[in-house]
Amino acid sequence: MAKTAVTRITHSCHLIEIGGRTFLTDPWFSTRPGYYQGEPIAVAIPDLPRLDGVLISHEHYDHCDLDAFAAYRDRSVPLFVAETVVGTARGHGFTNVTALAPWEQAEVGGVTITAAPGKHGVYEVTFVLRAGSDAVYFAGDTMFIPELAEIPKRLGHISLALLPTNGLHIRPADNMQVVMNADEAAELTAILKPELAVPHHYAFTKGFLGDRLITHSDKNPLHFQDASRTLAPETSVRIVEPGIRIEL
Amino acid sequence: MNAVTHTVEPTGIGPVEVTVAEYGSGQPFLLLHGGAGPQSVAGFAEKFAATHEVRVLVPTHPGFGGTARPEALDSIAGLAALYQGLLEQLDLADVTVIGNSIGGWITAEIALLKSPRVSGIVLIDAVGIEVPGHPVADFFALTMQEVFARSFHDPEKFSIDPATLPPAAQAIAAGNRAAIAVYAGSAMAEPTLRERLGTLEIPALVLWGQSDGIVDVDYGRAYAAAIPMAQFQLLPATGHSPQMETPDQVLHAIWDSATTDFSAFTR
Repeated sequence: MAKTAVTRITHSCHLIEIGGRTFLTDPWFSTRPGYYQGEPIAVAIPDLPRLDGVLISHEHYDHCDLDAFAAYRDRSVPLFVAETVVGTARGHGFTNVTALAPWEQAEVGGVTITAAPGKHGVYEVTFVLRAGSDAVYFAGDTMFIPELAEIPKRLGHISLALLPTNGLHIRPADNMQVVMNADEAAELTAILKPELAVPHHYAFTKGFLGDRLITHSDKNPLHFQDASRTLAPETSVRIVEPGIRIEL
Repeated sequence: MNAVTHTVEPTGIGPVEVTVAEYGSGQPFLLLHGGAGPQSVAGFAEKFAATHEVRVLVPTHPGFGGTARPEALDSIAGLAALYQGLLEQLDLADVTVIGNSIGGWITAEIALLKSPRVSGIVLIDAVGIEVPGHPVADFFALTMQEVFARSFHDPEKFSIDPATLPPAAQAIAAGNRAAIAVYAGSAMAEPTLRERLGTLEIPALVLWGQSDGIVDVDYGRAYAAAIPMAQFQLLPATGHSPQMETPDQVLHAIWDSATTDFSAFTR
């Protein structure tokens, strides 16, 4: 059976190989004033492999860069998205767009895609991909919410978890937290009990002034690794540079 | 400090030679002078680079400081295009653009070009917008002593008698004055700028000398209010050129802006 593997492209944008299929998560392939990956974009759109599906957690630019991703060679690629993304996806010419609400499922070539809850500044869903005994959880940039504890109860064992860790706060919004932090990601890891956890969504920066006036975040993924050693010692945490493919 | 002359070709203007003084290394800043010329920001650039890990680029706007100005380069928008081209040429990313007075107006126009290379702006007693009831002082109708009196909280420390300058310095001052007239005119404002600022999506820090007699504090508040993500901060005991008069306040306002309680400053 084909190996389950993940290649980080940048931020929360990954290639996930599972059940012999390849999926892309939360596409982000460009930059805008005040939105920077803080790390390389490891794969350009023309160099993407043939995709069996694309998962999009919510409509924010750094997760749903359809202006750039519309250049992908096949806009009939199946998109599985939060319902708030459907209009913009179709508007960008994607013809096979399916909205998934939490716990709704779809199937692509033997891989089951299940949406899971999420909570962010806007409506967000997260996703579990399962093929046989392997399952990958993609957490987008959700907050840590109690509903996420339902994932293993409803969907069984998670093998690999891709989790945000920067605890992003929005200063002008009363310093509201909108993304889980390293400790919370480690708590979630303890609940999901995956063999492997990979942090993402930590290098992001709004630039010199934006990081001072607009956002506040933890850019060090080692904090997640450290917290997981205490809270989820059975899970191996790997900090993965963009472009590096890791197998389960 | 290291000064290099770059040749940049902004669209529609043709090749322009621009001299850029560079201070330090690290996080990049583009620092734009106003009508007082490059020496009005040089000391600040030096201090900034000496105290922080920053790379501060200080161009001399063509026509100032005795430099040549191509005929086709005759507007603030042209200068903005020139400096965007410079940032491209130098392949700089996450640049904060800082501008004082006319330099602040250029900064606003650079931000409106919406290059991903520019991540934030700092406007220091900037001109460029129209605010009814709060006109920019007419530089060309003032004597130099009146300009000094309006430009500083404590003009005694900065005033000079232009008649006592050596001929070469007087020629440069006359060139600066002519460049101001070409780029900014006597109104020092562009009627559409205020509304266009409403489209900006990058963070902006608007710093204003409380004693500014060239553009008053209410004008500064209007500037900040026109920019969606702007924070406004008054600088006490400071006039129109804070980077000269109270540079430590300006440095603190920029570097430590994450810890500033902006609710303390009335918009």
